[in-house]
Amino acid sequence: MDNREIELRDGLSRFLSARWRPDAAASDLTHIPGGASRETWRFKAHAGDETRGMIVRIDPATSLIDTDRRTEYRAIEAAFKAGLPAPEALFLEEACEWLGRPFSITAEVAGCQAAADAIPPQHRESIGRQKWSLLGRLATLDPLAMGLGDVMAATSRETCAMQQLDYWRGVIVDDELHPNPIAHAALRWLARRPPPPAQKLSLVHGDYRTGNFLYSPDGEIKAILDWEMAHMGDPLEDLAWSLDPLWCWNGPELAGTLLPHKEAVRFWEAASGLTVDPEAFRWWQVFAAVKGIGIWISSSEDFHSGASKAPILAMAGWLMTDRQQRILADYLSPHSRHRFVEVVK
Amino acid sequence: MIPKASQGIGHLVSRIAQDLMPKAADAYMATDLAYFTALLTMVGQDYDRAADVLISEHDLICTLLRDASVVLDDAGLKERIDAALDLKPASLRVPDLNARADVTVKLLIDVHAAVENAQAKGDAWAAPLNLKIWDYLERFAANRSYDVPF
Repeated sequence: MDNREIELRDGLSRFLSARWRPDAAASDLTHIPGGASRETWRFKAHAGDETRGMIVRIDPATSLIDTDRRTEYRAIEAAFKAGLPAPEALFLEEACEWLGRPFSITAEVAGCQAAADAIPPQHRESIGRQKWSLLGRLATLDPLAMGLGDVMAATSRETCAMQQLDYWRGVIVDDELHPNPIAHAALRWLARRPPPPAQKLSLVHGDYRTGNFLYSPDGEIKAILDWEMAHMGDPLEDLAWSLDPLWCWNGPELAGTLLPHKEAVRFWEAASGLTVDPEAFRWWQVFAAVKGIGIWISSSEDFHSGASKAPILAMAGWLMTDRQQRILADYLSPHSRHRFVEVVK
Repeated sequence: MIPKASQGIGHLVSRIAQDLMPKAADAYMATDLAYFTALLTMVGQDYDRAADVLISEHDLICTLLRDASVVLDDAGLKERIDAALDLKPASLRVPDLNARADVTVKLLIDVHAAVENAQAKGDAWAAPLNLKIWDYLERFAANRSYDVPF
């Protein structure tokens, strides 16, 4: 057991004793790989005869995405209460006295995995159907009615697209280590062609993709993860992000490596009750690639500044930027053969 | 100097993948090592091509800037173009080539925006120049693509 593990075990035991049960203790800590925005550990919480699997997500000094832990926690809590598969939110602690940094704890969803490349071939279609049907259900949720108005920026059907564009433009301009002429061309393209108003405002997950949900060995999606970019907005934003070619790089014909794009959209429309407007979708498709570049540029900046030495940040900053700018060039170049443009309707 | 650096990096990648990863203490360590192999592979590819990319792209940008200078009706941009065309890197080391590219690419972004505005106004010269700039941007993306096995 290394020093970090001992430090966390002791801090969690003290915290659980204070907030859960006086005789509580933590054990069996395992560092979960791949969490780019939070330091994530699985552990057992014991009190009396009871043992519960839990997940603690600890704020890092820096991360792939600059996020608000309270928004993330409240979004998970709201999704769970709405009956969507999400981990049960247990504790949000914003003080540093327990683990040195703020953290949140959710119930462990045991026996599942998230790896996109480990999905058994026989379950891909079924998981794809669930994935976009769940996203359609998410699109039916009203964040204000769910009580999320105090943790999410106010917006409107008319302004949500440009608010998101302004935010990600700021990230790109502030964090780019070298000027990126493709990203800037895309930012101008988006600014010149505002999409029609959103059909409705809904809870937007912000990073809904294969790899960000847990599935069981028999192919059932058990929990949607990584809500740190959740916000109020146009449900087409999540749909476009989920269909970005980055998530099916080696087989663009299957969205998220699961389903043909048209089928994914069909399941989403059936569950959401919404109809995809191709013109609006096109805007959100380009936006998704710009947002991706913003995230990858930002992670690259964190890695190069030395704020974090996590290799996943360099991976995102180098490889994902490469791929995302090829996607954008494919979308926008007048010479493009549109290798990445899949027909969705 | 290290002989044949990109191949040497390739050997390091093989050593990590074949000898160290199977001995990783846990999944977290194994994942980090997998990232290291991919990152080192990319470093090797950039080591090999960086100077060539930065010098050849500078020549292409200068051609675009000269074309734009003739047709653009913006004294400030023309002045910046004249200055950029005279830019010499402090040396042929990659950081110095990058510093020059930062100036010229930033200028190209502004020129591209001006060309798009002119095209929207219907200036006949703008569409062909926009096409040439997109030729460059497609090459820019291709020049930075990495060959990794996933």
